[in-house]
Amino acid sequence: MTGLPLAFVPEGKKVTVSEVRAGPGMLRRLASMGLHLSSCVEVVCADRGSLIVSVTGCRYALSRGMALKVLVQEAGA
Amino acid sequence: MAKKITIALAGNPNVGKSTLFTAITGTRQHTGNWPGVTVEKKSGSVRHRDTDIEVVDLPGTYSLTAYSEDEVIARDFIIDGKPDVVVQVVDATSLERNLYLTTQLSELGVPLVIALNMADAAEQRGDIIDRKKMAEFLEIPVVRTVGSRGEGIGDLLDAVIRESGTSPHHEHSIGYGDRVEPVIADLVEALRQDPGLTSRYPPRWLAVRLLEGDGDAEKKITASRARDAVYTILSGVDAGEYEAMMADRRYEVISAVLPQVCTTCVREMTASDLIDRVVTSRYLGIPIFLALMWGAFELTFTAASPFMAMIEAVQAYLAVAATGIRPEWLATLVGDGLIGGVGSVLIFLPNIFILLFLLAILEDSGYLARAAFVMDRLMYSIGLPGRSFIPMLVGFGCNVPAIMATRTIEDRNDRLITILINPFISCGARLPVFVLFAGLFFPENPGTVIFGLYVLGIVVAILSAKLFRATVLPGKPSPFLMEMPPYRLPTAMTSVRHMWDRGSMYIRKAGGIILIGAIVIWALAAYPAGVEYGSAASYAGMIGQAAQPLFAPLGFNWEMTVSLIFGFVAKEIVIASLGTLYGVGEDAGALEGALLADPALGCVTALAFMVFVLLYLPCLATMAVIRKETGSWKWTAFSVIFGTAVAYLLALVITKAGAVIGGV
Repeated sequence: MTGLPLAFVPEGKKVTVSEVRAGPGMLRRLASMGLHLSSCVEVVCADRGSLIVSVTGCRYALSRGMALKVLVQEAGA
Repeated sequence: MAKKITIALAGNPNVGKSTLFTAITGTRQHTGNWPGVTVEKKSGSVRHRDTDIEVVDLPGTYSLTAYSEDEVIARDFIIDGKPDVVVQVVDATSLERNLYLTTQLSELGVPLVIALNMADAAEQRGDIIDRKKMAEFLEIPVVRTVGSRGEGIGDLLDAVIRESGTSPHHEHSIGYGDRVEPVIADLVEALRQDPGLTSRYPPRWLAVRLLEGDGDAEKKITASRARDAVYTILSGVDAGEYEAMMADRRYEVISAVLPQVCTTCVREMTASDLIDRVVTSRYLGIPIFLALMWGAFELTFTAASPFMAMIEAVQAYLAVAATGIRPEWLATLVGDGLIGGVGSVLIFLPNIFILLFLLAILEDSGYLARAAFVMDRLMYSIGLPGRSFIPMLVGFGCNVPAIMATRTIEDRNDRLITILINPFISCGARLPVFVLFAGLFFPENPGTVIFGLYVLGIVVAILSAKLFRATVLPGKPSPFLMEMPPYRLPTAMTSVRHMWDRGSMYIRKAGGIILIGAIVIWALAAYPAGVEYGSAASYAGMIGQAAQPLFAPLGFNWEMTVSLIFGFVAKEIVIASLGTLYGVGEDAGALEGALLADPALGCVTALAFMVFVLLYLPCLATMAVIRKETGSWKWTAFSVIFGTAVAYLLALVITKAGAVIGGV
């Protein structure tokens, strides 16, 4: 399963995570923060390169580099 | 005999552990609305129904795998500190993520109690959480708490005492499915070869950690005889794949439980999101940050004036009274040493307190984390992660907690650079020097001059970081990933309390190290016997004149030189010793007069002096914390030498530039 990098998702859009292309350590760490396969992510702010996303009610800031490694699909797809 | 138990407060960052700790023990712990406020474990005690409970507040962590120094402290205490009960403080408004840690803690098999904290916030937005059902599903007692109002503390302690009596207890465990379970079973089998190991750690827990590739778990078995068998099993599996499967399984379990215990209202955009759209926007983000900072320093200067006038009036009264003291040497000690020295510092306490109050609002509102986000790109371009900006802002209050706050930075080089540049961030102790000199020599716009000095500190810090990155500490900054706390309206009460917690240190310092410093300088200025007080013939004069050639290119006279020498102990002493040396005790406000009248001092020298004080060697307490956090004398010495060299160079540039402009 593949999808669009989270970094390209426009503000205000809700998506689900389909793949995380990160090393094992980062994968585990993102999971512990609630960002795992099939979790629902909403992009809150995206106009500076790095973004603020909302995952299960928590807001995270992540750099563009990381947002490129998280692949997503449209929610409900 | 009273029973004695130890409990640990664990949980995700920024869920209110320290607030709950304060509510339970009455021992005040610094709190704030950003992840990473607590970086050290702190204990307090309370007596509840004949049981003495030792409560340990831990830094926040998302999982039992530790990435940064503060998380290591939390994990080590939970696993190796063997608390009788672990209280997981859970943010009721984000159950799903919080329960991920719960799944790990329950595998560990320690008696667990969940404090469903910030329950009021969840209820307010319409969530309904069935605590009874939740406790049944998880097989863990769940208690409703609101740490900020002290609600539910009694119930929580009741539950803790009940749980502490239930050992030995069973381990609640997740089934990881047909592919993972056989491997776990093999690992458990292998681990059982070493009874010493399995008596300390539950074998299933250790097996799960090993399969997830946890470095700390691997360390635990390196010396064990089970090692080879374990390695053989692990080498046959694809770590990344298993890790993902296990994380998924945990969330499957959580999402199976959650809908049955919690009805969450569907929410559209929250106010937090709307504010974020503005304050973090591409064009407004940095201007908003700078405007807030400028406003803060302007307010620091103007709002403090009436309080300063009050303190000055009291000192003037005391100074007159002091002249009547006999013998005469005691009169000059009290007049020049205490009132002139310590008093000169006390006058500026209102400035320090107002700045700390504004910083407290910054911390409590949730904006601090946004500032890090806004600065991320700039920070990244100089070679630091955006997270490093937080210690810089904390440094406005005091560099010591700021350097401690770098513990949340995982990468060693990132952290070292953040520590080394922190002394350039102007702390509250340097503020009196700026307020005094900027007020005297730049009377039109002192607030702006002070703001400019703070910005200069940041700029020097940033350029130094870039220099370190390019030379001694190469590498790429680790990617930015940080939780953004929800905005909260800070209450006046909590912000005042935070101001007091950080500010009372400055009062204690005035009564301690600065008092001693002032007395030493007074003695140096008054002796050898017979010399005119504070003259060039006194010991202070001799020291100053001996060192003065070094500072002559900067235009500093010997009094300023002496004040700089002693100022390394604590930077307020710069002001205290100027007050003592100019012998201004008899007439409060006379330090200003004496400085203005001094022909050696003009705008340029004043500016050079302020810049020098801003940047030169870190104070004693900061040096000590640099040594402690870097674990290296070499880097401590580096920080001292580098800082002083930069200070000297910039002060020299200002002096020369001033001479050129003035000479035209």
